[in-house]
Amino acid sequence: MNKALSWLLGGRKPAASHLLLAPATLWLVFLLVIPAAGLVLLSFAKNGPYGLILWEFGFQNYRRAFDHKYLPVLLRTLGFAGATTALCLILGYPMAYYLAFRAGRWRNALLVGLMVPFWSSCLVAYYSWMIVLGKEGLLNTAMISIGFLSRPIGFLYSPFSILLGLVYFYLPFAVLPLYASLDKVPRAVIEAAYDLGAGRWTAFFKVTLPLSLPGVVAGCVLTFIPCLGDFLTVEILGGPRYYLLGNLISNQFMMAQDWPFGSALTTILLAGLVGGLWLYQRWESA
Amino acid sequence: MKRGKGMGAYCAALFAFLYLPLGVMFVFSFNDARRNVVWKGFTLKWYTALFHDAELMSAMLTSLELAAAAAAIAAVIGMLASYAMVKHKPFRGRSAYDALLNVPLMMPEVALGVGLLTFLVRAGFELDFTALACSHALICLPYTIAAVRARLISLQESSLEDAAMDLGATEWQAFVKVTMPLAMPAIISGALLSFTVSFQDFVTTFFVAGIGIVTMPIKIYSMMKFGVTPEINALSVCLLLATFTLIGLNTAFAVRPDEASHR
Repeated sequence: MNKALSWLLGGRKPAASHLLLAPATLWLVFLLVIPAAGLVLLSFAKNGPYGLILWEFGFQNYRRAFDHKYLPVLLRTLGFAGATTALCLILGYPMAYYLAFRAGRWRNALLVGLMVPFWSSCLVAYYSWMIVLGKEGLLNTAMISIGFLSRPIGFLYSPFSILLGLVYFYLPFAVLPLYASLDKVPRAVIEAAYDLGAGRWTAFFKVTLPLSLPGVVAGCVLTFIPCLGDFLTVEILGGPRYYLLGNLISNQFMMAQDWPFGSALTTILLAGLVGGLWLYQRWESA
Repeated sequence: MKRGKGMGAYCAALFAFLYLPLGVMFVFSFNDARRNVVWKGFTLKWYTALFHDAELMSAMLTSLELAAAAAAIAAVIGMLASYAMVKHKPFRGRSAYDALLNVPLMMPEVALGVGLLTFLVRAGFELDFTALACSHALICLPYTIAAVRARLISLQESSLEDAAMDLGATEWQAFVKVTMPLAMPAIISGALLSFTVSFQDFVTTFFVAGIGIVTMPIKIYSMMKFGVTPEINALSVCLLLATFTLIGLNTAFAVRPDEASHR
């Protein structure tokens, strides 16, 4: 007994590691690897009547994903993800800069404060945006009462509200990597630039910004990639007119009962994700 | 520093943007009006209404049970896995395995959800509480492992276990008397994080939960489909307070990197 435990805990043999890792492996294989492989397999099958799956292999689901009806959804997804990433970086950079260079003793409190909305449920946060942006919502009521508007505007269920929701949720994902890389910029290098006669802006554009580039790229990856698969934002703040890839996928499984087509869409999403991460790794190791 | 002030104001504005919805919800959950945005006076009636709603209470109970089950499963699996990854001699393929452990975190939840749904249905499993708890445990696993692993690494550096064994403890004794007690705060912190992740998960639950299982986020979502009501405000505030408490507790248990080696 004691010997067996020592063997297991000491872990000088790979078999001991495999045994301790067995539950994790079980979970990863059965709930992650097999489901993902299953989706890829299913994406080549054909949808029969009543959601029956016909195992006739072909690329018809992929052709359909890129036809004139669904291509706009893919392009819209890329567009919203791109716009969100750009906005998050532009809005987040000054904040990350402030956290890294100016916040002083408030820094840790601000970093925690930044994460709190992230930890509060996305569902709940989007719900409160509904209160703010709705036809009879806070924004409309306020603007009418100060005479800025004469009748309510439909802020909600528009590209505006979708972008707002996405930026709201993904902003911390951009700020944190930006902050991490700005924090690593050696102060002495910036001082040196000043000593050599650079002005504030020159020092920023020639020294600080280039040195924070890893953070910019990481921030891009961390906002763009999750945005591609976002589902809840449009579900709550958007509506069917602005369906993104995530909503289209959900629809195939929950409403249309076309699992093979939904699987093809999911495979496209995963391929985009893997491709993006691969590019990032290549950039990082280059 | 005039420039610093301008930037500080900018950050304050951005923080206001992040906190605006939470604040709005909080204020209007006490508003004595069905129509949400005009202040009609203070009331607690939306909160009392929550506690008289039997469906809501049962959703709350389901969510709590689910989160507890998922956190417990993830804690056990995560502890075993972290131990093997940190303390064992590196085995072949360890870095690939390491990458795989983080995939649940990177995978879009929609993909995870439909993948699990397809697998469970095609393999003939019931979409019941057990299936959902196991699915949640998968999403929680990376959080548990991150917490426990960091702790085990700092313990490794402190060589306390080696000291115990030099003094004659067997590997098992060192594990029970040294490793486990010192890793416990990290295990609890990871479990609290997992609990939070599971408790407020909507997307995976949306796909994997069968018809009979209604969790809190699912309930809120279906209430939202009927429009904005003050009850949802009150409910959301309760959910937020629960989350903040959990995160607060988690920070209390989380080990600062410098502290571990000094104990």
